[in-house]
Amino acid sequence: MSQEKFWILFSKKLSKEASAEELLELEELIHQHPEWQYAIQNLEDLWSLDPVKDMHEEEDAYLLHLQRMNDASFFEDQPENLPVSDYFPDENRGRRIRLKWIMAAAVFIGLIITGFSIFHNKVNAKGATDVKQGDISEISTRLGSKSKVQLPDGSVVWLNAGSKLTYDKEFGQAIREVSLTGEGFFDVAKNKEKPFIIHTRAIDIKVLGTAFNVKAYPEDKTTETSLIRGSIEVSVRNRPNEKIILSPNEKLVVRNRDIVAPRIKEEKVDLKPEISINQLRRSPIDSTIAETQWVENRLVFRDESFKDLAVSFERWYNIKITISDSELEEARFSGTFSNETIEQALQALMITKSFRYEINSDQIIIYK
Amino acid sequence: MPENNKIKLLLSEIALYNNQASYKELFILMHSRLSAFAYSILKSKYDAEEVVSDVFIKIWEKRAKLVDIESPVFYLFAAVKNQSINKLASQKKQRQIASEHWVAQLNSVYFDPEKLMMTAEMIRHISQVINTLPPKCRMVFKLIKEDGLKYREAAELLQISVKTVEAQMAIALRRIGKCMHLDVSGQASTQSVKK
Repeated sequence: MSQEKFWILFSKKLSKEASAEELLELEELIHQHPEWQYAIQNLEDLWSLDPVKDMHEEEDAYLLHLQRMNDASFFEDQPENLPVSDYFPDENRGRRIRLKWIMAAAVFIGLIITGFSIFHNKVNAKGATDVKQGDISEISTRLGSKSKVQLPDGSVVWLNAGSKLTYDKEFGQAIREVSLTGEGFFDVAKNKEKPFIIHTRAIDIKVLGTAFNVKAYPEDKTTETSLIRGSIEVSVRNRPNEKIILSPNEKLVVRNRDIVAPRIKEEKVDLKPEISINQLRRSPIDSTIAETQWVENRLVFRDESFKDLAVSFERWYNIKITISDSELEEARFSGTFSNETIEQALQALMITKSFRYEINSDQIIIYK
Repeated sequence: MPENNKIKLLLSEIALYNNQASYKELFILMHSRLSAFAYSILKSKYDAEEVVSDVFIKIWEKRAKLVDIESPVFYLFAAVKNQSINKLASQKKQRQIASEHWVAQLNSVYFDPEKLMMTAEMIRHISQVINTLPPKCRMVFKLIKEDGLKYREAAELLQISVKTVEAQMAIALRRIGKCMHLDVSGQASTQSVKK
């Protein structure tokens, strides 16, 4: 037992990871076992040696790297055969390259794999040593941007602004499981053997192969799912026994109970049921469904309060909006925006409801 | 940690003055570790070089934003990891993405015997032990001992717990230590006989 402890503490000491208490504990152990001293000394010596390094290899690699920067027309308006030191762009070119990168990134997938974070399964966290070692893929979109992702099973997910989709390495082995924060439109590849499950904070959705939209922004009052085709089975957190089957053109709305209402009076007024199923309304003109229009790069809203619309605008345009008047907050709007700038959008709204606005860098204040 | 400070300095020189010499220095400083790490994921020298080069292109491109990184060594490793995984995904090699499939090539087996108070026999024995460490153990040992990452950082890269890193390091050290330990117990017994 003390041996195991010794090796853990000793390797921590060598890696400069040991705390003061751990160092003391180690001293204690070593003191009890003077016969380890020789091994300890040698290991310390071994540890302090730097591995042999081949500088030529690094220099060669650097030249190849510069060559690649050039070949990839990274600095495309550079004449050929410039000396190495001139391959570097000046400030202006840097900006152009930055733009190119942004475009390239958008074309590539437009998504940022923000890195992989350790997955601590909540169930296992209760002191169990066998913590599940997940390998999490995380795809997230920034505010003001969207992206389309293809999952390993061929399913396609469009992620709306400010959203995050994660799945682990087990994905597709027995079942296909993903977690979503924010909004996504799922076109799930058919596979009856491997159900596709989407976890959100308020609901879990189980599907076999279908297309539907899920809107689960943590800051929103509700979590919604709208079914376009096929069928899905939804279970609501805290109500594990109830399974709700949605049919095409239905939308399920679940109140996010753990969202604390900012004002007490709202709680009294709010008579909406915890869970409701509504019919999706198709536009009489082109029979489109508002809930999925964002996939086509259209921001569609029907009879929405200015307050809710402001939240959509914040995500769509990546800007902070404050409405400084409670009557304006409740004003209702319908409409569609696609390529409009935020100012054009606001001016369009002003046609039906008079208000004024002020833009300071990344914030808009709306007032009477 | 002093290395992180050095890299922070280089990154700020790159960001503030577009300093190409600093950029080159950073490349030379990190290249072998990063390309070895990429290789352990991709198992292709060519792809590994390309990934490191791509990461360094991004470093130049995003240089203005890279001045405030807490742990740049870890940042570079994480960037190489993500880039490598993207590459595997684009090559439709999803199966290789999980970290248990990563295979580290260790450098520390090529140490200079003259600097150590050990017999050639012992050194050969140690090299053999290091070379036959289990894959996960080697990967952890490589990241901590050779690449200078913190336990927490290695754990994050490999998607394992810090406790697992601790355990894997202990296994590696114990195995190497055993080569010496056996020797020492032999010596101790002969000495005691003499007395």
